Amino acid sequence: MASTAPMLTKFESKSSRAKGIAFHPKRPWILVSLHSSTIQLWDYRMGTLIDRFEEHDGPVRGIDFHKTQPLFVSGGDDYKIKVWSYQTRRCLFTLNGHLDYVRTVFFHHELPWILSASDDQTIRIWNWQNRSLICTMTGHNHYTMCAQFHPKEDLIVSASLDQSVRVWDISGLRKKHSAPTSMTFEDQMARASQNQADMFGNTDAVVKFVLEGHDRGVNWVAFHPTLPLIVSAGDDRLVKLWRMSETKAWEVDTCRGHFQNASACLFHPHQDLILSVGEDKTIRVWDLNKRTSVQSFKRENDRFWVIAAHPEINLFAAGHDNGVMVFKLERERPASAVHQNQLFFITKDKHVRSYDFTKNVESPSMLSLKRLGSAWTPPRTLSFNPAERSVLVTTPADSGSYELINLPRDASGAVEPSNTLRGSGTSAVFVARNRFAIFNQTNQQIDIKDLTNATTKTIKPPPGTTDMVFGGPGCLLLISPTTVYLYDIQQKKQLAELAVLGVKYVVWSGDGLHAALLSKHNVTIVNKSLEQVSTLHETIRIKSATWDDAGVLLYSTLNHIKYTLMNGDNGIVRTLEHTVYLVRVKGRSVYCLDRAAKPKVLTIDPTEYRFKLALVKRHYDEMLNIIKNSSLVGQSIIAYLQKKGYPEIALQFVQDPQTRFELAIECGNLDVAVDMAKQLDRPKLWQRLSTEALAHGNHQIVEMTYQKLRSFDKLSFLYLTTGDQEKLQRMAKIAEHRGDMTSRFQNALFLGDVDMRIEMLKEADQYPLAYLTAKAHGMEEQAREILEMSGLSEGDVRSPEMGKPVRPPRAIAPTYKANWPTKSAGTSSFEKALMAGGGEETAAAGQDTNGFVEEEDLLAEEEAPRNGHLAEEGEDDEAAAGWDMGDDAVPDAEDEDLVDVGAETTGAAGSSEADLWTRNSPLAADHAAAGNFESAMNLLNRQVGAVNFAPLEERFLEIYAASRTFLPANAGMPPLINFVRRTVGETDSRKILPLIPRDVESVLASEVAQGKNAMKANKLEDGLQSFQRALRLLMVNAAATQSQAQEAQHAIRQSSQYILAMSIELERRRLVGSTTTTADISSLPPATRKRALELSAYFTVVEGLEAQHTTLALFTAMQFAAKNRQMGSALGFANKLVEVGTNAKFKETARRTKAAAERSPTDALEIDFDSFTAFELCGGSYTPIYAGDVSAACAFDGVKYLPKYKGTVCKVCGVCEVGKVGSGLRLTV
Amino acid sequence: MDPFSPEGELLNIHTAFIQAQYPSVLSDYTTSDFSPTNRLPVQILQYRAQCALGQSDEVIASISDADARSTPDLAAVRTYASYLQKPSAGAVQEAERLAEKEGDNLSVQLLCGTILARAEKAEQALQLLAKHTGSLDAVALTVQIHLLQNRTDLALQQAKSARSFAQDALLVNLAESWVGMRQGGEQYQKAFYVFEELAQSPSSASAMSLVAQAVSELHLGRMEEAETALNAALEMEPENTTALANKLVLDAVTGRDIAEARTKLESADKEHEILADMMAKREGFHAAMAKYSPKFEP
Repeated sequence: MASTAPMLTKFESKSSRAKGIAFHPKRPWILVSLHSSTIQLWDYRMGTLIDRFEEHDGPVRGIDFHKTQPLFVSGGDDYKIKVWSYQTRRCLFTLNGHLDYVRTVFFHHELPWILSASDDQTIRIWNWQNRSLICTMTGHNHYTMCAQFHPKEDLIVSASLDQSVRVWDISGLRKKHSAPTSMTFEDQMARASQNQADMFGNTDAVVKFVLEGHDRGVNWVAFHPTLPLIVSAGDDRLVKLWRMSETKAWEVDTCRGHFQNASACLFHPHQDLILSVGEDKTIRVWDLNKRTSVQSFKRENDRFWVIAAHPEINLFAAGHDNGVMVFKLERERPASAVHQNQLFFITKDKHVRSYDFTKNVESPSMLSLKRLGSAWTPPRTLSFNPAERSVLVTTPADSGSYELINLPRDASGAVEPSNTLRGSGTSAVFVARNRFAIFNQTNQQIDIKDLTNATTKTIKPPPGTTDMVFGGPGCLLLISPTTVYLYDIQQKKQLAELAVLGVKYVVWSGDGLHAALLSKHNVTIVNKSLEQVSTLHETIRIKSATWDDAGVLLYSTLNHIKYTLMNGDNGIVRTLEHTVYLVRVKGRSVYCLDRAAKPKVLTIDPTEYRFKLALVKRHYDEMLNIIKNSSLVGQSIIAYLQKKGYPEIALQFVQDPQTRFELAIECGNLDVAVDMAKQLDRPKLWQRLSTEALAHGNHQIVEMTYQKLRSFDKLSFLYLTTGDQEKLQRMAKIAEHRGDMTSRFQNALFLGDVDMRIEMLKEADQYPLAYLTAKAHGMEEQAREILEMSGLSEGDVRSPEMGKPVRPPRAIAPTYKANWPTKSAGTSSFEKALMAGGGEETAAAGQDTNGFVEEEDLLAEEEAPRNGHLAEEGEDDEAAAGWDMGDDAVPDAEDEDLVDVGAETTGAAGSSEADLWTRNSPLAADHAAAGNFESAMNLLNRQVGAVNFAPLEERFLEIYAASRTFLPANAGMPPLINFVRRTVGETDSRKILPLIPRDVESVLASEVAQGKNAMKANKLEDGLQSFQRALRLLMVNAAATQSQAQEAQHAIRQSSQYILAMSIELERRRLVGSTTTTADISSLPPATRKRALELSAYFTVVEGLEAQHTTLALFTAMQFAAKNRQMGSALGFANKLVEVGTNAKFKETARRTKAAAERSPTDALEIDFDSFTAFELCGGSYTPIYAGDVSAACAFDGVKYLPKYKGTVCKVCGVCEVGKVGSGLRLTV
Repeated sequence: MDPFSPEGELLNIHTAFIQAQYPSVLSDYTTSDFSPTNRLPVQILQYRAQCALGQSDEVIASISDADARSTPDLAAVRTYASYLQKPSAGAVQEAERLAEKEGDNLSVQLLCGTILARAEKAEQALQLLAKHTGSLDAVALTVQIHLLQNRTDLALQQAKSARSFAQDALLVNLAESWVGMRQGGEQYQKAFYVFEELAQSPSSASAMSLVAQAVSELHLGRMEEAETALNAALEMEPENTTALANKLVLDAVTGRDIAEARTKLESADKEHEILADMMAKREGFHAAMAKYSPKFEP
């Protein structure tokens, strides 16, 4: 039973007769070869013609894309096979050989082969890599119409007008071409006999089966993608199905239906269907298993010539007399409904399932709808009634029917529904918990039914209604091709209508306040009264939509997920590889159903639309949060903000000074603008800033910009208007210095300074004017002088009548003292939010206000270089105490100084190199060299907790003394001081560093070595001092390399251990009152004795000493113990000495002691020393600190102390505070 | 014609002066040998040489009030000598007065400029010196003042512009070397070549040149060579305070005890800058140290 549902056409082209079609395996492209000799490349998704290839002469019948390479092949009536590149858009080469029309061409799926079938009765295989013919298959005795490779095996099937279908075995050919290794003669013989050679001795391709059954010529033949099946179509109007095994092949069945020549046929790539086309203008779909017709589509006027299937997705293309159509067989949108956190949907097997959004789990099937509608038509819609837990399903089968089914309580497999209520109708939707509406398109009627499927009410929809969807509680939305109506069921009244074209789906927001009407290319957002809120257009097909909880609509197109805000702002959220149908968005997850009706979760980044939403809703806190927590910085967002009129917010994102400047000007944030202008320092920017600042009445900034621009006239006028007489005076002097008469005159006028004017006029040799000026102001004496100079007497001059001299107006208010007060509108609530939130922005904003506090400095800055400039030019003028604003020949260096406001701080004099050192280095030594002892101490304090600097005094002064030399220069002048650098070759002021005397190497070579020698020579006091000196030298030092720094650190460690060891031993000697090891201490009190013995033991365990020195300590301790009848301890020391000792003589003694001690290894006096437990020694009390005991350490030398010493100065280094945590000594920059 | 130009008769004495060969300036030249117009400059150079040799008293004595009144040059010399003898506010005021009144006089520019610069009135000194008309002495002094103010950039400009009109004159080379010693890097080596050339040729050698050579070598990190040059300088003038001061620095750099050098310097000039500076630094150290109150073990 064939249904005649409308065809789901996706694309149609108009052209001359299409003879060949090929789908691109990945891209949405089809190649169409035309009877008119053209090959077209279409994007069927966008509906655009990408390219045309016209090199064939006459009709092109065969066409095929290569699976992986950017190639395609075509064959035409000019007997030629052409291979093309669609990237370079040209024919790469032509394969010649066929002697008649080429009917079909196909690429092999893996080998570089092309298979062609031709009217010259041959089938040929070509290698397109070496462009050669590798096999010609003869056998058909009429035109061969079609030949195809088997998708997996080494088989070919061909169809011919000789009424036969042949299957060829080409395994021989494959062997020959894929095994180029040399073969022995025997191998060749064996192989030759293996394959049955045909009558020409050709073993490459042999006929395997000849299938006869068609009564006329066969036009097309195809293999099944997986099963051993073949389908063929012939001029006998039949489509025949064949099956084959290893050894034979036979006809299975025939599909009868075409009433004209069947021109092409193929197997559905995924489903058990056969598709065929014919000259009877129909496309027919057959059930593969039952061989019955499933569907047929008829075209009015066009005969079909060819059909092709997309290898992956559910798409087919058929070529006819007037072009090509791309279509799919069934709707792929799975019917679904969302209720709260559950999605109900129907799978491809027509099973109803649910999906839980909170648990992200899919339920097992709950129902099977196998019997709903027809076998090959999936259900269209699903409506869910939570109160009754029932679903309403519609299917387009049987010209539309619905079914009301109760869902089982728990999902226990795909059970057939027991009691279902059904009826006919195109749309069905629940409108209340016990009512549903059924729309029937054919009789244009809506029935409201109760749950027993009895009609309670009938409504006549507006004419032309095509669909009906839920329209809010008690309402329906009725959709016609041009209009959407909102209809109230209760009042039986149309509430509103809105003209929207071609609405296909309606998606309601979670709160039911808004709905999105989806058309093919439009999204229209309406409120619940069907008033349009916004609309947007997409060039690509819109597939589905869902609402975010915040009121953002996410919608999917064929290849994107996008968002739109209520105000129509939209953007791309992510791209899609496959079409999906959105059902829900939650946080960063978008839930959707794919075309196989499988629930999927996609991750998205909602930052962009959340930000925009927050912006629209003015939720600044949220914006701030988004700014802080995401990397939402980019040109697009800035442009967006600027475009939407939020320059002040955009300002927060921008780093680029130019853009910042623009934005700051736009939002009137002068402080930022000033900052940026300073950074960029371009006249154009100063110009704009001055205009803007003037408009703001911020004359302080105006003044600064004029100074930068050297607009002297404007500056004078500004001072005049702001009443700044003092600066006006200076301007006059500058003018004088510049020799600019006009400017001088003007300034004199502004100042009302008559003398100055006269002076200037005299200088300009304008004696008459000078005279008149003097005269006019009643300055007779001056006037007389001028006359005398000119050699005239008063009588010689006839002066006109004079009025009263006019004084320039005086500024009443001292405007220059402050800017005109402006209403504080600077901080938007957003900025306030930012301030409150703290963070870097706040700091930046805070600094901004300093903008022109620096201005005075700036003037001072300008003065300094200008003096130098003067001196050089030899222009004399004391008035130029500052402020030569000569605008010519300004050396570059000055300009740099102007810009670099921050760097120069001390007015006229530059910073000395010593200052650079402190700036360049975090090393205490470098600060000491610069003479900045305070900061050096501060550094040491922070790095190693230094507090007692007295021992470092000489070191500091020594470094300082080595830092500067005296270079005699001019007679009578003190010598020039120069700074000695350790970076001799460096000229970059940011990298120069002072020379530090006594580098690490020299300390190692002298002090450390001396200390060790002293140890050996038993001059412990000297050694102690040497090591202490070494520590101090190393503490304030600079290492050349990282490895040297490590060496230094090692030396510090070692020296401090030696100091500790030596101190312990010295303490013992002090107690015993003797330097010799063999002193008898029996006369001393037991406590002292005990302590002395302990100390001698501790002396041996200090780590980090060189082996020979440890040997010395062990020897001493052993002797001392043995002498004082501590035989147990003595034995321990002797053992250790034998083990690690470096001195043969000592070892010998040790062995003897050992022998003696072993006789009674007991101690006369119990001492606190356990050689088997690891411990460190307290640097203050010389008592053990066991692992795990609480202790404090010196941050510099690492020596540990008992807690009671915390806060005191380390006895080892004598400088640092015990227990103070530091960042660690720095020795390299 | 510029009397200091290579053809002029003042060239030799001037060169000797800037090479700090002061005894030669005094003994090898007599005023009467020169043309009348050049007698005054010679006289002034000799006075300045005397000052440089520490004979300011004699200079003051030999210039009468009348001479000083009639000739600003001599007035400037007298002020200069008295300032060198003992820096006083009066001398500075006198220098300021001269600078204002006789600012166009080269001697006034140089000598008063020196006084002003030493009296920490660098701005005024620079203004005064800016009035010179192509005098390399003025340029050299300007360069030094700029360097004193740590304005290497401006000093470099001065030196460069001087080179543009005076080419390879000795003073230009010297001024550039002084700047180079501030710039460092390759400039150290260039400066060294200039100083070495002066110091090593017998006709131009002086303690000052040797010291300059030693200093440049010290900056280049060649301590041994620096020491040799310094010793040579001290041999020539055992009491040269600059040499002694640099000796102290060299000792410090090489890690030797600086006490000996300090004593020597103290005996030569008790109030030498480096000594005062070191003293001040020591005090500074104590002051900074006092901010920390270390606790010692009870």
